[in-house]
Amino acid sequence: MRIILTGYGVVGQSLIDIFENQKFENLKKYGFNPKVVAITDRGGAAVNKKGLDLERIKKVKTREGSVAADKKFGQPQAIAQSIIQSTEAEIMIEATSTNVVNAEPGLSNIKTAFNSGKHVITTNKGPLALAFPTLTELADHNKVLLRFSGTVGGGTPILEFAKKCLSGDKINEMQGILNGTTNYILTEMAEKRVTFKKALELAQKLGYAETDPSMDINGIDAACKVVIIGNWIFNKKFTLKDVKVNGIKNITLKELNNATKKGKRIKLIGSINGKPTVAPKEIRRNDPLCVSGVLNAVTFISEYAGKQTIIGRGAGGIETAGAILRDLLDIKYNLANRMLL
Amino acid sequence: MKRIVMKFGGTSVSNGKNICNVANIIRKNSKKGHEIVVVVSALANVTDQLIEAANKIKSGKEENIQKFVNKLFEKHISVINEAIKSEKIKKETKNKVKKVIEKLEKILKGICYVGELTLKSKDQVVSFGERLSSIIVSATLNDQKIESQHFTGKEAGIVTDSKFGEANPLMNFTTQQVINQLEPLLEKKIIPVVTGYIAADQDGIITTLGRGGSDYTATILGFVLNVDEVWIWTDVDGIMTSDPKIIKEAKTIDGLSYGEAAEMAIFGAKAMHPRALEPVIKKHIPVRILNVFNPESKGTLISEGPEVESKEVVKAIALIKDVSMINIKGAGMVGAPGSYAKIFNILGKKNINIMMVSSAVSEANISIIIRRNQIERAMSTLEIALLGNNSGNEVSYEDDVCVIAAMGANMKGSMGVASRIFTAVANKNINIRMIAQGSSELNISFVVKEKYGSLAVNAIHEEFKLNK
Repeated sequence: MRIILTGYGVVGQSLIDIFENQKFENLKKYGFNPKVVAITDRGGAAVNKKGLDLERIKKVKTREGSVAADKKFGQPQAIAQSIIQSTEAEIMIEATSTNVVNAEPGLSNIKTAFNSGKHVITTNKGPLALAFPTLTELADHNKVLLRFSGTVGGGTPILEFAKKCLSGDKINEMQGILNGTTNYILTEMAEKRVTFKKALELAQKLGYAETDPSMDINGIDAACKVVIIGNWIFNKKFTLKDVKVNGIKNITLKELNNATKKGKRIKLIGSINGKPTVAPKEIRRNDPLCVSGVLNAVTFISEYAGKQTIIGRGAGGIETAGAILRDLLDIKYNLANRMLL
Repeated sequence: MKRIVMKFGGTSVSNGKNICNVANIIRKNSKKGHEIVVVVSALANVTDQLIEAANKIKSGKEENIQKFVNKLFEKHISVINEAIKSEKIKKETKNKVKKVIEKLEKILKGICYVGELTLKSKDQVVSFGERLSSIIVSATLNDQKIESQHFTGKEAGIVTDSKFGEANPLMNFTTQQVINQLEPLLEKKIIPVVTGYIAADQDGIITTLGRGGSDYTATILGFVLNVDEVWIWTDVDGIMTSDPKIIKEAKTIDGLSYGEAAEMAIFGAKAMHPRALEPVIKKHIPVRILNVFNPESKGTLISEGPEVESKEVVKAIALIKDVSMINIKGAGMVGAPGSYAKIFNILGKKNINIMMVSSAVSEANISIIIRRNQIERAMSTLEIALLGNNSGNEVSYEDDVCVIAAMGANMKGSMGVASRIFTAVANKNINIRMIAQGSSELNISFVVKEKYGSLAVNAIHEEFKLNK
């Protein structure tokens, strides 16, 4: 299977590690043989229709900062969209960083891939948050598949759980801790009695929060995930601007103390129960949803199966790359079935 | 006195000197009393330039049109200056060329403005190469006091369906029209010069004949006008026993049957496309492949049944490079109904042309030869479709192979031809990877590593004494 990877950050590199890893031999039984024919990053692209030598590309990236510096296959200044357009491949993996202002360049990358008949796996939430209904419509129109398991829950199969394991059931409601960074900060504040500022600094030191943590602490990251769950699982057509969002910046230690006294914890909860919202809420401490640290947890309340909660690490390069792998296999089986019809 | 269609390829009309040479050939044969219809290709490389320009202009700038058109004009004007002596005819011809090129310019502008190049508009653009060359060739004949008139395929009356880029002639309609157009001229000994490759559909929209090209125009006209022979003038002495670049001793083949000639299509541009042979086969019209630069050599005669007279079993050997071999193995493949159909279907859907197939009755595998530039797509497709789910299937490929095809109608029913071929190859210590023989028995094809390709071809050439 020929793959174009756009964006060679933490997730992209983790995916390449998986492809390269000897353990990958295990995947042979799935009949899955990935060939990365193009990688793009901020410096340009590296393209080889016979499949790039991943070990070598990795070295080039580490040494020179861009895959485009490869002497034989590098294309400095190449524009991702023209690479996507002109390179023959079955799948494009969109892993550029999330942008919630206009979703670029991810949105254009995905549209170009669709237009040239390529299936898309995205770990970039921006295009989905801003244009989910458009993208699913375009995918159908171009008869290609769009997968995005890695956008919610990182490696934890939250979307698959709801879509596949609960298929046939009617899911009425969803509540979830969808952002590990904010959950870490809130846990620290509640358990160690430190201020928001202190807790944030610690999170940054440990690599749980980015230098600019606003996407996380303002609740935008969680809201993006609410959009994805709402559209994909609840079949509702809405985008980021339709989500009511409140972050955790103004949570005080006093509020947290009050909650603790009642046997509760304050958590940043994304929910779909009527209107999609993201806001800090009090949750009972014995509720399975009430997880601590960087964990994510999502509860689905469905008509027949009742209340189900799924818990797991919500981020991380290798975890998200694992989600991409699941999507790749899912697409592989879909394509095989299509071809053999 | 014979009635002959003569087709001249792009190299024969590549410059003024060559066009004069073409006029000489026509004059000599006309003096012998033959009735001649001339079919011409575009000047060498012009068709490719037109296609390239149209593709660029579709998403390009308007200024580029002017540049391209000027260059094309200059090229044709210099050919006119070289080929034609009479100032009067020169001037007339230049004016005609100018008008035709102005029309081309308008069409290119249209394509540029609309930003779209359909098969239909591409046919329009491509047709200009032959339109221009036919005007110049006809004028050169007139200049040499041979009365001539030029026609586009459309004006001559060739009607096709509307499958642009690969149109099929409506033969009855065409017959009626062409006879009306060209018979009166032939009676008056005026030589019609018709554009090869191009025609028009029933609405008069320009079409092109696709595979077979100008040769096809020649054989269509031959069929319609009940000619005695079709002569295809090229820049080689005829069809060779093998590629002279591989085998120094390769020589021209005197005679081929239609079936053999059709098999030779794989030998490349010097042979005729099977499609172009269809009309002449129907009416048993002989075709000669001749060399415009060596008109005295007798060339290759393609006609019905020369194989009966000839004793040679293998007549020609081709080496086909730039291919890859795919091997598909798997327990699931043995005797499973429809498993081969599945493979062909999957590859067909991805536009991958299968050139050669072989599989044994006992073995759970199949080998396929495809063009090398499609190998990545083919492998990816087959892996997705056939691997996994504990199918036990395996797909692999070899990039460094070539196909060798030995061809000859007398192979049919002769014993021991295969044995001689393979012994010759084995004596050179070359391992054969794959073998296929068509049920027509006109051809045995096999696969060896590319580096042994020339050696194997040479060995067979020697074994069958094709140089003698």
